[in-house]
Amino acid sequence: MAHIEIRNLTFTYPGKETPSLQGIDLCIEAGEFVLLCGHSGSGKTSLLRHLKPVLCPHGKTEGSVRLNGRELSEIDGRTQASAVGFVMQDPDDQIVTDKVWHELAFGLESLGTEQKTMRLRVAEMASYFGIQGWFHRNVSELSGGQKQLLNLASVMAMQPEILILDEPTSQLDPIAAADFLNTVKKINRDLGTTVLITEHRLEEVYPYADRVVVMEKGKLLANGSPRQVGQLLYERHEELFSALPTPARVFYAVGERGQCPLTVREGRSWLTERFPQQPLPHREPKPRESKLSSEMALRLRDVWFRYEKDSPDILRQVELEVPQGCLYAIVGGNGTGKSTLLKTLCGICKAYRGKIELLGKPLKKYSSRELFRGCVTLLPQDPKSLFAKKTVREELEEMDGAPEQWQAMAKLCRIDGLTQQHPYDLSGGEQQRVALAKVLLTEPRILLLDEPTKGLDGAFKITFAGILRELCQKGLTIVMVSHDVEFCAEYGDLVGMFFDGQLLTTAEPRQFFGHNSFYTTAANRMSRCLFDKAVTVSDVTELYERNRKELGS
Amino acid sequence: MAKRDPFSEYHPLVCFLFFLTVILMGTVVRHPAYVLAGCVASGWYYGLLKGRGLLTMLLRLLPLLLLVSLLNPLFNPRGEHVLLRIFGRAFTWESLCFGFVTAGSFAQTILWFGCYNTVLTGDKFTSLFGNLIPALSLLLVMVLRMMGEQTRKLKQILHARSGIGKGITEQNSRREKLLHGMTALSALTDRALEGSIVTGNSMKARGYGCGRRTNFHSRRLRVGEWLCLLLFLFLLALTLCLGGMEAEFEPVIRTDPLGLGFLAYCGLLGVPIVLRIKESILWHILKYGI
Repeated sequence: MAHIEIRNLTFTYPGKETPSLQGIDLCIEAGEFVLLCGHSGSGKTSLLRHLKPVLCPHGKTEGSVRLNGRELSEIDGRTQASAVGFVMQDPDDQIVTDKVWHELAFGLESLGTEQKTMRLRVAEMASYFGIQGWFHRNVSELSGGQKQLLNLASVMAMQPEILILDEPTSQLDPIAAADFLNTVKKINRDLGTTVLITEHRLEEVYPYADRVVVMEKGKLLANGSPRQVGQLLYERHEELFSALPTPARVFYAVGERGQCPLTVREGRSWLTERFPQQPLPHREPKPRESKLSSEMALRLRDVWFRYEKDSPDILRQVELEVPQGCLYAIVGGNGTGKSTLLKTLCGICKAYRGKIELLGKPLKKYSSRELFRGCVTLLPQDPKSLFAKKTVREELEEMDGAPEQWQAMAKLCRIDGLTQQHPYDLSGGEQQRVALAKVLLTEPRILLLDEPTKGLDGAFKITFAGILRELCQKGLTIVMVSHDVEFCAEYGDLVGMFFDGQLLTTAEPRQFFGHNSFYTTAANRMSRCLFDKAVTVSDVTELYERNRKELGS
Repeated sequence: MAKRDPFSEYHPLVCFLFFLTVILMGTVVRHPAYVLAGCVASGWYYGLLKGRGLLTMLLRLLPLLLLVSLLNPLFNPRGEHVLLRIFGRAFTWESLCFGFVTAGSFAQTILWFGCYNTVLTGDKFTSLFGNLIPALSLLLVMVLRMMGEQTRKLKQILHARSGIGKGITEQNSRREKLLHGMTALSALTDRALEGSIVTGNSMKARGYGCGRRTNFHSRRLRVGEWLCLLLFLFLLALTLCLGGMEAEFEPVIRTDPLGLGFLAYCGLLGVPIVLRIKESILWHILKYGI
């Protein structure tokens, strides 16, 4: 008997013609780790929510969902609450109480668990998740990653049989996300809890999953082992292929068929197998055409900043030069002051020492009006903080431009089909593009982006990069702060490393990532034994093919 | 780092009763000696809890207190001893004294509340009432959390909006400032509503509303706490029974003579301070004993 058995599940939202879920058939065995992927809007969330009746969206449902052979809707609320654990996307809003210990105990309190049992369970969870150190803290003092870990722990305290996670790491930086996913894997491995997870950051979870289920337009597109699904996605030329782990993408891109490598380790051994004799004739990828302008759009000299008189310095002697029309990416760990740097660049945070020049004119000489109209603008980390209106159209009209102007912008950012929607009803990627359109309507010459790829799935990222390219070609200078190493390597013109309040090195991406051994892309980690400075999938593919040709002939 | 405070670690019931009593007494009793004792005790304990924070607090309080005490005689001309006349109205000694007493009780209430906030944090308060009124206590915790959260979000929105030139500091005209402030507020409301749906879902998902709730933090009173509570109640009874708290300011000042009741009151106010001193002596002895 399967643990979860979904039979012919069809679901239609009220007022909609086409169903969001169409005849879904899915069986999940106890202890399986199942990864559910698909584009935003493919019905992933609707499906997940059908496994948790209290969260089930309103609408017409047909078919059946069984848990351990019993119809889920017939199981009483109490059993359901503890048997099925559900972790959502937003780390903040999921938290109910103000103390860490209280949050851990919340579920057990709701179920009316006796105090002795409750204390033991909470203690157990706090120890398992390594929460002892911050057990008595206020929730507001935690980082995003800690908050999400707390959400997971407080669900696990109720000892669920199934753990459902709906894009749990979309708001986290890669390090916190990897940490979180490792904990989920550990739970699955140590406790045998069945895990059903949706993710768009596939590099980490994909190789670990027992099974991958792909959804499209409310239907199951594929259901099988990660390698089978990888092959299927490639053969059908699905857009989702771009989200697969780097080794798999390289594998198929060079024309290999069959079982693909999934992890960096597998990718590396596959490469060395293909090229047994070394050194290779071609070790470095063809240089990119660089056309950096000699004119500087942005210049920082000896800039210092701190929030309060007695607080520590966040920026310490920052020096930065950004040529006009280039995409400058700043990478670095969490809490190093990257976001503060962006706010200082546009004067939202005032540097207490040093010189900032925008387009050759000191920042201080700008009146705030001319500064944010036609000179510089900042896209914040959370696009929602820019939204204030009922529809996307009003949102764009708020920037008081002519109708043709915002319509053109909507087209450029590919949101022209969404103008009648409420901004909160859009997916993360769409929200990001609406925010971008809104910011661009100030007609900036310097665009500052704070973590723009957070929460975007693979296909959206390519669209987004396309938009940025187009803007750069129009002469816009872009400074981007990001954790997304792969994105920076692929699309950045220059990359700088920010650490401990300072900007350390600036180099062209290949130079930059090619020399790092840890802080670099998966493509580079996988190919460094054979190639130098190959940092993207296309670099590795190109080198592979050139070498094959030379050796084959 | 603040020092450990033994009274703060006592059972919330003891702390709650203490603060309830001293704040009530502080606002009701008008006897100058009692008010003075209250001020000294609350200031002392506040200083113990917050260290230098006491100084800033006093500096902030002082102008307010002066205003309160000087305003009273301006509105209340009754009293025997006229000090001076302002626009033909008497400015009397009795009225001024009453002003001082009012200011004093005002000050101690604020100081006690300051101590209360440090000692009885939100979670302790809720654990105290958790078993009696579970729904209400949870509501309080959530409100506490929401306030901090919304302030943080508002700041985020304001920063985001100044990044597109729609912040409130960059505007020239007052009308625009107001307009942009309002937009930011409405954006905040939208976000809060959106967030509350998620919070609600998260509560339901974890079995909220399934039945009677229990409480994680319901600890019993220890022996020492029982003793402290009994002593405290005894002192309170003594203060109330012996009386001597009456004071009249008009037309002449007449106060009850001080007696045992006042001593009992001082003892009652001093509970947390005595505990603190006892603790530090105890540690000294322990340290030298080793």
